[in-house]
Amino acid sequence: MSAVVKNPSPGWTRRWPWLPEFLAGERSSWAFVFKALLAMYLAAWLAMWLQLEAPATSMITVVLVMHPHSGMVLAKSFYRALGTLAGSAFGLVLMGLFPQQRELFLLSLSLWVGLCAGGAMLYRNFMSYGFVLAGYTAAIVALPAINAPLTVFDSAVMRVSEVMVGIVVAGVVSDVIWPGSLRSVLRQRAAEYFAHFIDFSRDSLAGGIARQDMEAAHLRFVRAAVELEDLRASVIFEDPEARARSGRMQLLNQRHMAASTSFQSLHHLINRMLRHGRKPVADALIELYAPIGEALSPEARERHQPDVLAARLQASVTRIPPLAAQLRTRFEDATSLLEFDTGQLLLRRFAEELREFSALYASIREQRLRGNVERAGFHRGNDYAGAAVAVLRTFLTMIALSAMWLASGWTFGAGAMLLATIFSGLYATSAHPLAATMYTWAGYALGIVAAFIVTFWILPGSDGFVMLIAASAPLLMIGPYLMTRSTLPGTGVGYALGFVYILALKNPMVYDPEHFINDGISQLVGLGLTGVAFVFVPAVTGSLWQRRRQLQQLRRQVVLAATAPTDGLLYRFESINRDLFQQITLYTSPGSDESRQLLAWAFSVHECGRAVIELRQAAAQGDLPERVAVAVDSAIARVAELYLAPDAPRWRRAEQAVEQAIDAGMQVPSPAQSRCRAVLAQLHILRGALRDDETAMAAYITPREMPDAS
Amino acid sequence: MPREIAMGGVLIPGVLPVFLICLLLLWVIDALVGRFGLYRYVWHPPLFRVALFVCLFGAAGLLLLP
Repeated sequence: MSAVVKNPSPGWTRRWPWLPEFLAGERSSWAFVFKALLAMYLAAWLAMWLQLEAPATSMITVVLVMHPHSGMVLAKSFYRALGTLAGSAFGLVLMGLFPQQRELFLLSLSLWVGLCAGGAMLYRNFMSYGFVLAGYTAAIVALPAINAPLTVFDSAVMRVSEVMVGIVVAGVVSDVIWPGSLRSVLRQRAAEYFAHFIDFSRDSLAGGIARQDMEAAHLRFVRAAVELEDLRASVIFEDPEARARSGRMQLLNQRHMAASTSFQSLHHLINRMLRHGRKPVADALIELYAPIGEALSPEARERHQPDVLAARLQASVTRIPPLAAQLRTRFEDATSLLEFDTGQLLLRRFAEELREFSALYASIREQRLRGNVERAGFHRGNDYAGAAVAVLRTFLTMIALSAMWLASGWTFGAGAMLLATIFSGLYATSAHPLAATMYTWAGYALGIVAAFIVTFWILPGSDGFVMLIAASAPLLMIGPYLMTRSTLPGTGVGYALGFVYILALKNPMVYDPEHFINDGISQLVGLGLTGVAFVFVPAVTGSLWQRRRQLQQLRRQVVLAATAPTDGLLYRFESINRDLFQQITLYTSPGSDESRQLLAWAFSVHECGRAVIELRQAAAQGDLPERVAVAVDSAIARVAELYLAPDAPRWRRAEQAVEQAIDAGMQVPSPAQSRCRAVLAQLHILRGALRDDETAMAAYITPREMPDAS
Repeated sequence: MPREIAMGGVLIPGVLPVFLICLLLLWVIDALVGRFGLYRYVWHPPLFRVALFVCLFGAAGLLLLP
């Protein structure tokens, strides 16, 4: 079944240079087609052997969870199993509550399905899929039993068994036969991003990076963080070794994020010094950076070996303090000393974070794990309004369909509702749900036509399971093949689903053209109505409205940094920042005004938020004199106000408050001064970030009339 | 172990808890083996895991449910 690549002779490749690549692509596509078909028929056979009611449900499950990467299949299967259990339990409860009241029953069902679609919006990865399935299974369990409430329990048991058979078969087949390993993808990506970060830290002299390069690097860091987290969430299902390393991978991601933020802060600090004519201090800091640069430049073949780098960084971390003390003697005035101390602190923090990052990466690559690590989950930035819209849309679709069904006494209304449930949930998270629904609709219609041909011309003459496969496989395999084409999103799934659903394999097989056509029409109407619902209540994912809200949410991250309890705050702050930024970036055209504005805000939020968190930690640790502590608290509160609703007066107040806190810290008599040093450094970063006219703050900066307002 | 267990008036096959316990056992073994990276010595880890599960479940089923 798979296309065999015969050693292409040089003559071949010269005449058709695209041919080898084409054949390699086809080979993996056909391997997937083979796996999908094998899993489908195996599931159908098992379901028939176990004398389950509708083997087609097992086949549908296989269609829905099949994916070329086995990690994806297993992750999807896991959440599908959970969703199915929750959904069937709810279906039972619903039937128990309203066995006689159709209106109440359908209302609650619509509400449940809507809420599940909303839940799907709030979770990423396949967890969202679990929510869709919870809604869908409640419908699939309860709807067919609506005319005979007493059978609902049997119906639930049957559905759950069929789905479980499908899940187990799909999981085993995709994991055992030519597994497309997601872990190798994760490994390769992690190595790439590690190499990129190390190269970037080595080759770019802090402060001297062009703004575009910094922006490009930032985009890449953010993508790295989100992508690695997404991959990790699926890989843990595929590979026990990866699962054992899951906590470490999360922590690694956090270290990467922390180190990249520190690096950016350092860059901005030195950059500002250069722009404002503080070259001597900047030069001293660049000299201080030299040990890190050296540590990152071993021989070429060891450049990206984390264990080598970690050892070298460890050595450089001990070299920095004496060098810093020596460089510090160059400066005498208080301002230069404050600037140097701030830079020194950032630099040491960066070196330490980079060392921890490399050491952790090295420990993940080792065969044997030692000890445990702290938990550092990746938090997501969610938009609750978007989820509410999804709830509303799905609820309206379901209510409209229910009303139509009740009013018309349509016998096949249940089928239409079922399909609407699946797809309004599945596509609620997609950015172009209408197009996706259209493609799926077309695929579904084609699948029904193909199934019609198979059912009424080919199948009646066949006998036995082998003949069944022979009769249906040629037309069925179009579906999985289309699933591998990324240019036709949804068509393959639609085709396979339409084909399998309407074929409704049973033992013994039922041939009923009238039922077939009625059922087909109801399916297409249900799917079509989902599309109509997406026209009336458009998807919010990626819309301008949502992007604006997300940008606002990104700004509020500083408020979070200023007010939330400090325990684990840094992890939350860094990961939500990345997640939000990535979500907005996906739908912003690069190079546009909007994109520039977004980047400007992202840099500003990153720098200020991190400084605020560090400031709060430093203030909590070193017991500050009363006056300084009050000034610091007020500065933090003013900065939070500024980011909550930025405007010029608030900017002025925030800037003044920070200034006052710095003054208060500087006036502390010298024995207590050392305790204030960390706090002063963070305040200095904060002041610099606020005054930076190259960030988003530029619009609010107003020249001060009086040099000293206090 | 009984062939069928009554739970709230619903009969549940006795194999089901055995199946779930075996899954749990596999999960524990996976966690240990993953920690020490022993699957690196196996040619086809997924196949090995499926086989291991079949062995566990088969043995437990045959021993507990005569």
